[in-house]
Amino acid sequence: MNQDSQVSFEAIDSSQAGDGGVEHGALLSRLCEAMFSQDPDEIASVRDDVIEVAGADVLVDAIAVSANFYMMTRIADATGTPLDVGTIEPSAEIREIVGVNDFMSRREASH
Amino acid sequence: MAAYTTELPVRVDLDVSHVEVASRWATTGSWWSGVERVAIVEEVRRARDGDDSAPWEAPSQIDGLVAKDHLLPTAAIDAIWRITNHPGTLTAEWHASILGQGINPQAYVELVGVVAQANAVDRFADALNVTRVDLPKASPDQPLRFNDNSAEVTSHWVPTAQVKGPNVVKALSAVPFEVDSMSILSATQYVPMGTLLSDLVSDQNSLTRMQIELIAARTSKLNECFY
Repeated sequence: MNQDSQVSFEAIDSSQAGDGGVEHGALLSRLCEAMFSQDPDEIASVRDDVIEVAGADVLVDAIAVSANFYMMTRIADATGTPLDVGTIEPSAEIREIVGVNDFMSRREASH
Repeated sequence: MAAYTTELPVRVDLDVSHVEVASRWATTGSWWSGVERVAIVEEVRRARDGDDSAPWEAPSQIDGLVAKDHLLPTAAIDAIWRITNHPGTLTAEWHASILGQGINPQAYVELVGVVAQANAVDRFADALNVTRVDLPKASPDQPLRFNDNSAEVTSHWVPTAQVKGPNVVKALSAVPFEVDSMSILSATQYVPMGTLLSDLVSDQNSLTRMQIELIAARTSKLNECFY
C-alpha cells in the first residue's frame, strides 16, 4: 500500500459513490451489493464486468472476501460482540462517516 | 476431492479449506452430533433458499415449514433462520428467548459457529454460480456436552473463555473447535487471523489490502453489522 494514497469511505457507502481511492473500488462495491441482493441476473452481470476489468482471479478472491463477512457479521451479531476497547475512539469518526451508528446491532452490542 | 468443479481460478488452498470445514461440520462437536451439525447446515440452506420471511416470523410458527419430527429443537431451527436471514435484527432479548427455550448457552455458541461458516461457504459458491460443497457423511456419535465452567458471560451475550484477541474471535471461544473452523475459512477467504492486526498493508493473492478492507466494510455495512 502506498502510504501517500488518498483513501475515502465513499465506496463503503455505495457503489454509486465512486472508487474511494481504491482500485476498482466502485466495481468491487457493486459486486458486494449484487451478492447481498442475490439477484442472479445482477450477479451474472457484475461477474462479467469484474472478469473483463480486473480478471477472473480478482473475481474469485473478491467473492471469497465478501463471503467471509457473511460469517463474521453473523458471529458478531449473534453473540452480542462489543467493539474492541482499542478501536472505539479511533473509529468514532469513521463510524459516523459510513453511517453505522444507527444499526440495531450498535445498540445491542453496547448492552 | 475438490469442493468445486469450475473453469474459474478457485485457488487450491481456498478449495481445500471448504472441503476441510465441510468435514468438520460432519464431525461430532462439543454439543451437537455430526448428524445434528449437518442438519444445521441443511437448515441454513433451507433458510437461504426459502421465501423471504420477516424477522419476527419464526419458521416454527409457519404451517408446514418445519417437519414435526425434525432432528433439531424448534428453538435451534428458529435461531438458524434468524441468524441466516436477519442478522442485523438480533437483540439480547431474542438471544435470551432462545436460551429460555432450552438451548444450552455453549450449545448456542457452537450452533452460531456452524451457521456462520455455512453462510460463508455457500455464499461463495452461489455468487460464483457453482454447486455448493457436498456435505460428507455425518458422525452419529453423541457429543460429550461438557460445560466449560471457565467460560463466563462478561463482555458478550454468550459465555467466553479468557483469551486474547479481537472480540469477534473471542465470541466463539467457549467452543474452541469453532474458533479453529472460523480461522481456517478466514485464512483463505480474508487474511490469516495471526496477521489480522499486525500486518495491515500486505496484499493477499490478487487483491490489495485496501481492496480487501473495502469489500469487508461494504459487506458488513450491507449486513447492518456495527462491529
